[in-house]
Amino acid sequence: MADNTESSSPSLLSNNKASSSGPSSDAPSLIEEHSNPPAGPSVITEDTGSPQSPSPVTCFSQTQLVDISTLSLAQNLLDLTADVQRPLIANVAPISELRAEYENGSPSFVQQIDYLQSQGYSSIIRARGDGDCFYRSVAFAYVQNLLHAPDPTIAVATALSTLEATTKLLESVGFEKMVFEDFYEVLEELVKSVVTPNASGSILTDGGLLETFQDPEKSNSIVVYLRMLTSAQIRLDPENFAPFLFHPELGEPMEIRDFCEHFVDATGKEADHVQMTALSRMIRTNVDVAYLDGRGSNGQVEFVKFQPDETAEAAASPPICLLYRPGHYDILVGPRH
Amino acid sequence: MTSISSRRLAKELMEIKNEGCPVGINLVQADDFSTWLFTIEVMGESLYQNEKFTLQFRFDQQYPISSPAVQFVVTEGRQAPVHPHVYSNGHICASILGNEWSPVLSVIAVCVTLQSMLASCKEKHRPVDNDRYVKHAPENPKKTRFHYDDDTV
Repeated sequence: MADNTESSSPSLLSNNKASSSGPSSDAPSLIEEHSNPPAGPSVITEDTGSPQSPSPVTCFSQTQLVDISTLSLAQNLLDLTADVQRPLIANVAPISELRAEYENGSPSFVQQIDYLQSQGYSSIIRARGDGDCFYRSVAFAYVQNLLHAPDPTIAVATALSTLEATTKLLESVGFEKMVFEDFYEVLEELVKSVVTPNASGSILTDGGLLETFQDPEKSNSIVVYLRMLTSAQIRLDPENFAPFLFHPELGEPMEIRDFCEHFVDATGKEADHVQMTALSRMIRTNVDVAYLDGRGSNGQVEFVKFQPDETAEAAASPPICLLYRPGHYDILVGPRH
Repeated sequence: MTSISSRRLAKELMEIKNEGCPVGINLVQADDFSTWLFTIEVMGESLYQNEKFTLQFRFDQQYPISSPAVQFVVTEGRQAPVHPHVYSNGHICASILGNEWSPVLSVIAVCVTLQSMLASCKEKHRPVDNDRYVKHAPENPKKTRFHYDDDTV
C-alpha cells in the first residue's frame, strides 16, 4: 500500500510563532488523527509483513467509507506505474515500447500512441511512479532544454536569474532559508554546470544529467525544491488559485494552507492542474501535457497547454512536453526536441 | 561531500543554540547527527500538568527528504504520555511523521506539533489497539504504516 495515496488527515502544523520553518500562518491547527481500524488491519508492520488481526472496535463514519473506496481506486491506477525497480528517470526509449504495453487489450490507447507518433512524438523518458513523477519530469526536461538550447549561455543566464528570484519569493511567503537553501543549491549547481565546469572540471552532458536525476539525493532535492516553488506560487496568488483548491479524493474545497501542506509540500503527493499551473508560472516555462487516457476523439490526443510566458522568446524555445496517463507523468520527446 | 542530512541538521542545531527552543521544549542531547533528545512539557492548563516527557529523534541520511523517526522514550523510568495517539511503547500515530511528512518541517516544528497535540487532548487514554500494537510493533516506528483519519471520537 503506497503511503502517498493515504488520505485526508485534516491537519499539519507547519508553523508556529517560535519555531516556524514552514510558510507562515496563524494558529497551529493540529489534530493528528488516529482512526479505529476500519474493517481490516490498520496497522501493518513491515517486519512481519502480515496484517494484525482486525480490531474488534470499529467506528465507521460515512467519510471513512468514501475515503477508503476512492483510495483503492487511486491505488489501482498508481500500481500500474509504481515500480521501485524503475529508475527515478530512465533512458530515452522509443514510444513503440509504450505501444507494446497496450497492444493486448487497449486499442484506444494504441490508437492514441499512433497519433502521437504521427505528430512527431517518437520517444519517451520515463519517470518512476512514486508520486513525484510530475515534478521530477519537469525538472529533468527543464535542464535538458537548457542543455540543448541554441544558445546555452543565454538560456542558463535567464534560468539562473529566474531561479534566484524564486528564493526571495519563498522567503516572502514564510519559507525559512534554512529549509530550502540546500535543495536550491543542488538545482542551481546543476543548471550552472550546463555552461560552467563544476568542481571536478566537467561540463554537463546528457549522461551526466541522467546520472544526476538517478541519484536519489540530488534528484529528490530538486523535486523538493520544485514542490516548494509550486506551494509558494499558490500561496502568493490566492485570488487565482483559491477557487480551484479541492481535496483530490473528497472533492471538498480546501483552504490554501491546508491544500499546500497536504498536497504540495508533502513528498509523494501527485500533482494536478493547479500544481501544474503554479509551477509553470514560477519557473516561467511553458508546459504541454498530452493526455493519453483512451478517450480522445478519433484516436487523437488532447494537449493541455500551460503557457505562463507568451513572449516571442518563449514561443521560440520548445515547451516541456509531458505525457499523462491516469495517475502518472512521463516526459514526451517531441518534434521540436 | 557532507550529506544533505548533516548539513541541514547542523543548521537546525545552530538555530536552536542561538535562538533557544520554544517554551516547554528543551534540548537534552544532540551529540551527533543520528539521535537527538528533547524534553517536552505542555504549558498552561492541560491534562498533562507537571508531566515531562522525553522525545527521541532518529535521523537517516535522507533527512529531511525522509521523515525522522520520532517517539517518546519509555526507558529508565520515563513514560509516554497517555494519549489516544500515543502507544505505551512511545510510538506516535501522527500523519506528519508518516505520509504527510514534508521537508518544510524541522525538528522544532515537530516538537511544537506534538506539544500542541498534547495540549489539545480532551481525554487521557491509550489508542484502542494499544496492546495488540505494542506486542507486534517494530523497533522503529517508521516501519509501521499507521492509518490516519479524521478524528471522529
